Amino acid sequence: MNTNPLRRVFLVDDHALIRAGIRAELSGFVEIIGEADEVPAAIEMIIERVPDVVLLDVHMPDGGGLAVLEGVVKANPNIKFLALSVSDAAEDVIAIIRAGARGYVTKNIEGPELVEAIIRTAGGDAVFSRRLAGFVLDAFSSKEHPMGVIPPALEPELDQLTPREIEVLRLIARGYTYKEIAVQLDISIKTVESHVSAVLRKLQLSNRHQLSNWAAERRLL
Amino acid sequence: MTTVSPCQTPVISKKISATKTVPPKRVPGRPQRPLRRKAEGAILGGVCSGIAKRFGVQTKTVRRLAVVSVLFLASGLVLYMALWIGITRQGEDESIFTRARSDKREKEILFVVSIAVLTLLIALRTLGLHALGVFLWLVTLSALEALVAWRGSSSGERDHLHDLANTSFVKTSTSSDSWQGVAVRTGVGVVFAIWGISLMSRVGYEQGAATYVLVGLGAMVIGLFVLFAPWWIRTVRDLSFERRARIRAQDRADMAAHVHDSVMQTLSLIQRSANDPGEVRRLARIQERDLRIWLANPEAFGTSANPPHSLAQSALDIEREIEDNYGVGVDVVVVSDIELNESVVALLAAGREATLNAAKWSGAQNISLYIEAEPHQVSMFVRDQGCGFDQNNVPADRQGIARSIIERMNRHGGMAVIRSSPGTGTEVELRVPLR
Repeated sequence: MNTNPLRRVFLVDDHALIRAGIRAELSGFVEIIGEADEVPAAIEMIIERVPDVVLLDVHMPDGGGLAVLEGVVKANPNIKFLALSVSDAAEDVIAIIRAGARGYVTKNIEGPELVEAIIRTAGGDAVFSRRLAGFVLDAFSSKEHPMGVIPPALEPELDQLTPREIEVLRLIARGYTYKEIAVQLDISIKTVESHVSAVLRKLQLSNRHQLSNWAAERRLL
Repeated sequence: MTTVSPCQTPVISKKISATKTVPPKRVPGRPQRPLRRKAEGAILGGVCSGIAKRFGVQTKTVRRLAVVSVLFLASGLVLYMALWIGITRQGEDESIFTRARSDKREKEILFVVSIAVLTLLIALRTLGLHALGVFLWLVTLSALEALVAWRGSSSGERDHLHDLANTSFVKTSTSSDSWQGVAVRTGVGVVFAIWGISLMSRVGYEQGAATYVLVGLGAMVIGLFVLFAPWWIRTVRDLSFERRARIRAQDRADMAAHVHDSVMQTLSLIQRSANDPGEVRRLARIQERDLRIWLANPEAFGTSANPPHSLAQSALDIEREIEDNYGVGVDVVVVSDIELNESVVALLAAGREATLNAAKWSGAQNISLYIEAEPHQVSMFVRDQGCGFDQNNVPADRQGIARSIIERMNRHGGMAVIRSSPGTGTEVELRVPLR
């Protein structure tokens, strides 16, 4: 999968400076097939050009990255999104992941790491930054239910992380790369990837109402 | 041509497919079940068009009948509202009536309002208001039905009604922009006002004076309202618009002040130290952190001079201190925040020590801090991907610091593990139990 052909990447960000910076960092490693700085144009061009990965700014006018994601997924659910943001507001991040993004990285990510994240996203894997891992651990670990109401879970296994998944997430949050995690836990990188993908799935499908409540309560951190 | 024998069926279907290109005529058409209030093309509740569709007649005919029946002592109005409530709207599962019946609050509201209105009517009656008799009762009944319909309408229907209130017809007739609107309103208003005054002027000549006073007063109020409504509505509109504009201007001023105070200053500092990448990075980080805190909570910004009282705040303090003094990035992730206590403070102090070490010695540009509070313990990981060191070959001064970390943790029943080897970076793991 991750051999010769360059990944075709589409860039959505309303700041020309950021787009230029990302383009410079990615040049030679991926093929940038287009960029857009507003929601409607982005939706139209992405559907038309069918990139492997869309690098999506979370914060934009007219509904932001979420609007782009929803608009494109309606027409072509196979296009993969990697959210890119300076924002750490949990509700934005969780919202965009639940809408279908395969991962979330902050804009201060180093060039090579971003390339790796893009390749991983294109391959269908999940990309968790330290912060996202922290959000997920926080969201799934908060046990207290407001007002003592425990909502009936349709699929209980979606509401809980396995001990192994928690272990993997903790290592990500501590700053370990997938490779380092594999060494630490004595498992293959593929296994690490499948754990992370499972967490992403739970994050997207869990109907745990706490998840949204939790995100809404958190403005920062 | 009403019956078709089975053997003829194929021929007919062929015919149909052959004439497929001809669009179907839009005649009133066949009766269609079930009876539903129409969502599109509805004027009010879509009752008339729904009935027209159900029985296959022209919508216009039904509408005309409805208007005529309303003129007939308002009985049509009662019927119309009853159908509005009773018939399910197109695309919805249940009628307003079913919905309202299963909602205790709605029932209570309706009950209270009905009692209040009934009391008022009886009071008017005892005052001698017979003149309007049945008409008043029917109007009251349909007003109650309208209340149920309004309160019970789905959001889709509510939108439709809002749109209705904002159509150009309603807008022009309540504004003083077009001369037709002004003329109609003035006419209606003056007629009502004169009628009211003339009724009241009869007081003293005839019996049942109270009736005239009340009806006359009511008519006059209606007249005056119709006359002055646009002016009043516009004033209210302008006031709220002005208020919003003022709030926006205030926000903008606050924003400008903040941008000037912090962002501009930082930018000029960055320009001045353009030759020193470390300093530029440091300034940018300070500004970024500043803005982040300000965005999260603009009101509290700059007011918190008191010491931090939570785990996350203390972690941010470590981040700030180390970033500002050593020019490296400290990236903090905190999972579930808790209040500080003695052992947590010790953990944070040891963690600060470890971060300081990493900033001073590792050579890494970024230090990752991970803090997690679990019900039984708090753990903290300080990790850098710098030069690392051989733990068996540590210079004396660094060993002292390491020991101070370990000893501090031990004193509070916790533990500290330092993992490091040359070239792979360092990770300090700290744990302290919670009682």
